[in-house]
Amino acid sequence: MLIDIKNISCRFGNVQALKDVSLTVDSGEVVVILGPSGSGKSTLLRCLNALEEIQSGELNIDGFRIDKEHLQIHEIRLEVGMVFQQFNLFPHLTVIENVNIAQKIVRKRTDQEARKISIELLNKVEMDDKLDVFPGQLSGGQKQRVAISRALAMNPKIMLFDEVTSALDPEMIGEVLDVMKQLASEGMTMLVVTHEIGFAKEVADRIVFLDEGKIVEDNNPTDFFSFPKTERAKEFLAKVL
Amino acid sequence: MDWLSEQFTILSKIFFYLIQVVHWTILISVCAYVVALLFGLIFGLGRISQNRFIKALSGAYINVFRGIPLLVLIFFFYFGLGKIINLDRFVAGVLAIGVCYGAYMAEILRSGILAIDYGQHEAAMSLGMTKWQAMRHIILPQSFRIVVPPAANEFIACLKDSSLVMIIGLREITQAGREYANQNFLDFHTWLVVGLLYLIMTISLSRVVKVIEKKFAIHGYGVKKNAN
Repeated sequence: MLIDIKNISCRFGNVQALKDVSLTVDSGEVVVILGPSGSGKSTLLRCLNALEEIQSGELNIDGFRIDKEHLQIHEIRLEVGMVFQQFNLFPHLTVIENVNIAQKIVRKRTDQEARKISIELLNKVEMDDKLDVFPGQLSGGQKQRVAISRALAMNPKIMLFDEVTSALDPEMIGEVLDVMKQLASEGMTMLVVTHEIGFAKEVADRIVFLDEGKIVEDNNPTDFFSFPKTERAKEFLAKVL
Repeated sequence: MDWLSEQFTILSKIFFYLIQVVHWTILISVCAYVVALLFGLIFGLGRISQNRFIKALSGAYINVFRGIPLLVLIFFFYFGLGKIINLDRFVAGVLAIGVCYGAYMAEILRSGILAIDYGQHEAAMSLGMTKWQAMRHIILPQSFRIVVPPAANEFIACLKDSSLVMIIGLREITQAGREYANQNFLDFHTWLVVGLLYLIMTISLSRVVKVIEKKFAIHGYGVKKNAN
């Protein structure tokens, strides 16, 4: 298994964001994480990229353990790509430079190698006509597609999507979800926090339902949406469906 | 008309006299500003360091040199420190101004770094960059654009404050003006010209700053290209 989370807890001051969460994800799986706001969905993803520190438990990615004693944390991050709700593109760099920069600095690829990979990836998300444009000139959907390419350029084994369509205008949500669907069909291991129930039903191999920092239900999508096992999941679905 | 042309002749004579030492004013200001940039960068980064000692040291530097009048610093660097380790007027004057402006510069740079959204750090780190790589390639280039206007203002202020080093006998335009006024009993005319010379330099500088700002402006980010 690619991701092995054992009893992790994460706390911010007095707020216990994750309580004793365990989860394993196999290579190629698409796991959609659902739950009400404040349930710890984003925190779970951020822990996987070591953007949040865990207070207890164990987090293994591809056989490597992530903890603060681990000095090579930035190397493990290479295995995990992350896409954010607020895009976080680098506004002082053009589209192609955004995708190039980490390849050159971190992966030590030459400008030529990086450019070739970037163009290929941007071509896939239909952004190859905007190579020399700055992020400020792009729509939200376009920004998010560039952000996905930027993460993929590092050849990650896992992709984390943290509410990537939540900041988008409704007509742009589709173009980003299409990219994610294609990625899933290519066998990428994905953990997706989203409010797009349609996407979850169609693409997910598994649904993980979080509430108050705990995994309440871990089920296949058909069963989860038709016959949720827990009361809490039923309540949640009654509101969002 | 005779009176007017006479006045003009006096003023232009003073102007061409003072312009011969204007390079000293410029040299002092530029050198002091380079020192200020260097100290500002070191202690500005130090201020946001996670190392407690470096952070405290940087904080102390900023508080001390921001809290002492520049004139007192100039006296201290020349008559105090300068007599012990043998600093000449120019070095002492430049160091005093540089160290003082370095404290302001540190605060400007710090605010420029803190103004960048934390998501930029996170995005850089999620791509596997180390803290320093993120700082160098992602944060500082963006901070730079924020910092240009206030940092340029510091240069203008620095240029004006360079007049203070006359007190230790550096012959820049203020000192040369004082000499001229005393010798020729032309105080009104001389100080008018000295003021005019500073004004010419500061106004041209603010023009240059605007050009720089526009040159580094990015579409859809920060300063607009068509802002005046």
